[in-house]
Amino acid sequence: MKLYNVKLLTITCEILAQENIIEILKKHEITGYTTYEVDGNGARGLRGQGLKNEKNVKVEVIMREEKLQDVVEEISRTLFANYAIVLYVSDVGVLRPEKF
Amino acid sequence: MEILELIQANLLTPIILFFLFGIIAARIKSDLKIPEAISEFLPIYLLAAIGLHGGIEMRNTGFENMLIPMFVAIGLSLLFTLNHYQILRRLGKFNLFDSYALASTYGAVGAVHFSIGLSFLKNQGVSSEGYIAAILAVLEPLAFILAIFMTNMAVAKQIKTKKQSFSDDNAEIDIGLNQTKTKLSKVLHESITGKAIVILLGSIVIGYIIGKEGFEPIKIVFDDMFTGAIVIFMIEMGIIAGQRLDDIKKVGVFLTSFAIIIPLFNGIIGVLVSTALGLSVGGAVMFGLLMASASFIAAPAVLRHAIPQAKPSLYITSALGITFPFNIIVTLPILFTISTFVHSGEGAIDLFNFITEGF
Repeated sequence: MKLYNVKLLTITCEILAQENIIEILKKHEITGYTTYEVDGNGARGLRGQGLKNEKNVKVEVIMREEKLQDVVEEISRTLFANYAIVLYVSDVGVLRPEKF
Repeated sequence: MEILELIQANLLTPIILFFLFGIIAARIKSDLKIPEAISEFLPIYLLAAIGLHGGIEMRNTGFENMLIPMFVAIGLSLLFTLNHYQILRRLGKFNLFDSYALASTYGAVGAVHFSIGLSFLKNQGVSSEGYIAAILAVLEPLAFILAIFMTNMAVAKQIKTKKQSFSDDNAEIDIGLNQTKTKLSKVLHESITGKAIVILLGSIVIGYIIGKEGFEPIKIVFDDMFTGAIVIFMIEMGIIAGQRLDDIKKVGVFLTSFAIIIPLFNGIIGVLVSTALGLSVGGAVMFGLLMASASFIAAPAVLRHAIPQAKPSLYITSALGITFPFNIIVTLPILFTISTFVHSGEGAIDLFNFITEGF
């Protein structure tokens, strides 16, 4: 089995920033992603309780390294200042690199 | 005296008691929680009930009577939003973004307030004009659109002055203005197609079509159960408000007083103006309550996108933690008392003179 190296970008953010992130992904021609609602605690206190609009989501995107730079740059430039957001990148292996 | 008695009586209604109970449950860190699906369903149900009620009443009164109150409501709402901005920016020393976000939160209307108002009137045996539900739908996006427009204009101006110190290149300002346009049209589109407006307008139309007889088979759900549903929703609202009680300290004295005085002031103006326009006792209360209410469900969703620089902890906490409890416990009975008073006393025309002299 041959695994190809690609990057996994994981973004945990408030649910109201989700749309902005997906827009940025779209701009960079990335259409595949996975999101799920999560709870947690962080710099802005316990999140995920109460109003729906105050929940957190986790967005996972697999992409090639070439695109990663631009995407991360744009997210940090446009969203870091105003939204509750945490972002990290990990190396993952996939079987079908042509999908990403 | 009468006001105090009414406040006291209002305090002992199930709606308020369950709200306070929710706060207590949150304070003692109970794991009591309304299931998510139900707390998402209830606002939709409440809006459907409000819309149906409004539509049925509108069938009796017709559309013509609603135009003037609607335009006056729009005018007042915009005026109040600008007024809030001046107060917050000049006296409160909030930054531009927070000022506009808060100004529009308090200029906007709240559907939960509205439901409680209807239930309060039902309790008092007073009816209200149905078209106020239509005014609710029209006012919903209004204050936000104004605030977003003003904020973007202010930002574009700032960019312009900064730019001019470098060169006379206008390209970036154009980009700024274009962004404003796309932002505004997006907000407009999102609020008009948003679930609140869609269900409200849809139910008004359906209510109008079916009329009193058509409503009979569904009355048990949308009328008899209305107050009961609010009570369940109040538990949830109480829990959320209770969880935020600690944040009120961060809001500060100025905003706390703002969150109490402004809604009361706006509400009283609303009652007086609508009485002058010839609305009934109940109608004037609902009109005043619309003016007094602050938005806490729609506001974060709209403002977080449109004015992300503003701190949501400020506008959500003040609207939900301070203004909402104050309005349903104190403002509502006060508005009702004032409305009863001005309707029983002198005629509407005298009152209008009184108001214009007052300014």
